[in-house]
Amino acid sequence: MADLKLKTDVIPNHNLNDMLEAKQLTKKYNDATALDAVSFTVNKGDIFCLLGANGAGKTTTINLFLNFIQPTGGEALINGLSVTAHSLETKKLLSYIPENLILYPNLTGLENLEYFSGLAGKKYSKDECKKFLTEAGLQEEAHSRKASHYSKGMRQKVGIAIALAKNAAVLLLDEPTSGLDPKASNEFSELLTKLSALGVATLMATHDLFRAKETGTHIGIMKEGRLLELLTTSHVNHTDLEKLYLKHMN
Amino acid sequence: MIFTIAFKELKERLREGRFRVMAIVMIALLAVAVMISNNYYQWVNRQHTEARENARSVWVSQDAKNPHSAAHYGTYAFKPKYPLSLIDQGIDKYAGVSIYLEGHTRNEARYMAAQDQAAISRFGDLTPDFVLLFIIPLFIILTGFDAFTSERESGTLRLLKSQGVSSVTLAAGKWLGLFAAVLLIIVPVFILSIYFLSKAKDFGEFNAGVLALLFLFYLAYYAVFSNLTLIVSAWAKKSGISLVVLLAVWMVACLGMPKAASRFAESISPYPTQSQFMAAVAEDERNGLDGHDPFSTQAKKLEEETLKKYGVDSLHKLPFNWDGYLMQRGEEHTAEIFDKHYGQLKTIHENQANVYRLASVLSPYLPARFLSMALCRTDYTAHAHFSDAAEKYRLALMDNLNTHFAENSKYGDWAYKADKSFYAGIPDFSYEPKSYGDIIHANLGGIGVLLAWLAVSALLVVWSVRKMNIL
Repeated sequence: MADLKLKTDVIPNHNLNDMLEAKQLTKKYNDATALDAVSFTVNKGDIFCLLGANGAGKTTTINLFLNFIQPTGGEALINGLSVTAHSLETKKLLSYIPENLILYPNLTGLENLEYFSGLAGKKYSKDECKKFLTEAGLQEEAHSRKASHYSKGMRQKVGIAIALAKNAAVLLLDEPTSGLDPKASNEFSELLTKLSALGVATLMATHDLFRAKETGTHIGIMKEGRLLELLTTSHVNHTDLEKLYLKHMN
Repeated sequence: MIFTIAFKELKERLREGRFRVMAIVMIALLAVAVMISNNYYQWVNRQHTEARENARSVWVSQDAKNPHSAAHYGTYAFKPKYPLSLIDQGIDKYAGVSIYLEGHTRNEARYMAAQDQAAISRFGDLTPDFVLLFIIPLFIILTGFDAFTSERESGTLRLLKSQGVSSVTLAAGKWLGLFAAVLLIIVPVFILSIYFLSKAKDFGEFNAGVLALLFLFYLAYYAVFSNLTLIVSAWAKKSGISLVVLLAVWMVACLGMPKAASRFAESISPYPTQSQFMAAVAEDERNGLDGHDPFSTQAKKLEEETLKKYGVDSLHKLPFNWDGYLMQRGEEHTAEIFDKHYGQLKTIHENQANVYRLASVLSPYLPARFLSMALCRTDYTAHAHFSDAAEKYRLALMDNLNTHFAENSKYGDWAYKADKSFYAGIPDFSYEPKSYGDIIHANLGGIGVLLAWLAVSALLVVWSVRKMNIL
């Protein structure tokens, strides 16, 4: 991933520093509260890691930013725009990698990338697309193989390539490394750091405390729909973080 | 972007085994159906030409005989087989192909194809219209039922939406991809039909414009089914549910509603049975003028009036043969009776047609079915038009014979014979079917309903995908 080149001019030039903002974000399903008045901001270049057990509300938060579900209260803003009012505009700014990324099995990895970046309004040549795939860590010989033969890790890498090709100002990642081997996982973290240096704001849900501490600039600990703790990673060491996390979980 | 989506949909499908098998089966079914119909068409056409020439030559070469004997001898009118009946046979199978034209009575068309077939064939023939109207909608459903559900199930829908695609754009692309798959199947079939039709030797000339219009109607019908498929797929939680719901829609639209509508139509405005019809005609005839019975009250009355009109006191003194005159007046009287009863049949048909028009609001199959038959000239209206023309010819023929008899013979001279040349001089039956302009005009209601289905279902697609759950 050494020769990763991003066209920084494609990243929208924003005056606002807050790329992502959750304002009292609340989501209720009948009686159950999935998310309870969560507020945070992610600035340009920040990597904000949401930690928490399953059902803590991490995915709900991301789905709210994607406007896949409607908030019961509060709002989610991307670059100052409400995602409910500006559904399409805010999506132009973001890239999303779900936990288990599924591609079209009858299309090759390359075709999948071409399709998804075409939908984002980008026009790349085959060579440029192949470059993105290589940058994301997918071996050359897999590019033209049907995605039905891909492993989870390979699909995830195509997802990364899709995100790279979109050249977005915001990354929404829902446990993106959960299927990757340690090497790929590490490469992915390096990539995030690189993007962060270019000003990309990242919101990542993860179970991986170690990775969060290594890569993240900020950490939020969630439990039962509430954001219990907001930390700046440079201010805590790994042991303290783990203790704090376990304290909240118990 | 719509084309990007449509292209990807089509590409994906073409790589899918299920779709490939289905498409090949569809094309094979349609091709076989067109070829069977073409053979049948050629065969019927040959027979028709033969029989028509035969009937005419029997008529023109008959020996010298009394004109009224010739009226009983009779001749035949043959219903032409139209080129487009290759695509939609409509009611042709159940309507007769020839009408026996004789004195005193109006006969029904006889010799229907259905009579010659074994009972098993009543379950349906492999005809193009069967495949086009029943099977292709099923193909659309089987191809598109998981258009949204499978993407939601696998999660590609989330990725797709995160790229900033609007739901309506996505639906338009999906629709186009689905429709392209339909085109892939029916365009070759229509080209095949054009090939057969253009080299078919027929009675009416083959009109490519009408075939194109028929093609458009079918496309509108398929567009409606594509819309319905996308609507259900957008709402269904799972692919399986979508499939079951769509199959139910198909059964109701293509099987249930037509059956229910015909039952309802029959209960509201039932056709008389053949024997009821004949009995009613006979009842009217009994009270009327019989050309063969100069002693009936009606005949006596006419006799008095005629003698008075010509100022003579005996039938012998009339300037024409009273027998021939009476025969013609009797014929005219019978014609009026038949006209009245056939008119009632037409009213019943019109009442039933109204029921079908109403039912069209609930099933897109119905307007498509009737439009297709109408354009192929194989519907009831086309048959009735032919039957009326044959009756008109019969009356002119009888008038010709009776008038000749009346003017060329003396009262009581039943031995009079008209020679061969007189019979040969009577023009043959020639039939001009209803013009396409008139057919389209008569079917504007059906066209309107089909277009309304198209518009409403399209709006529902837009509404459904906007409301669609992404997760």
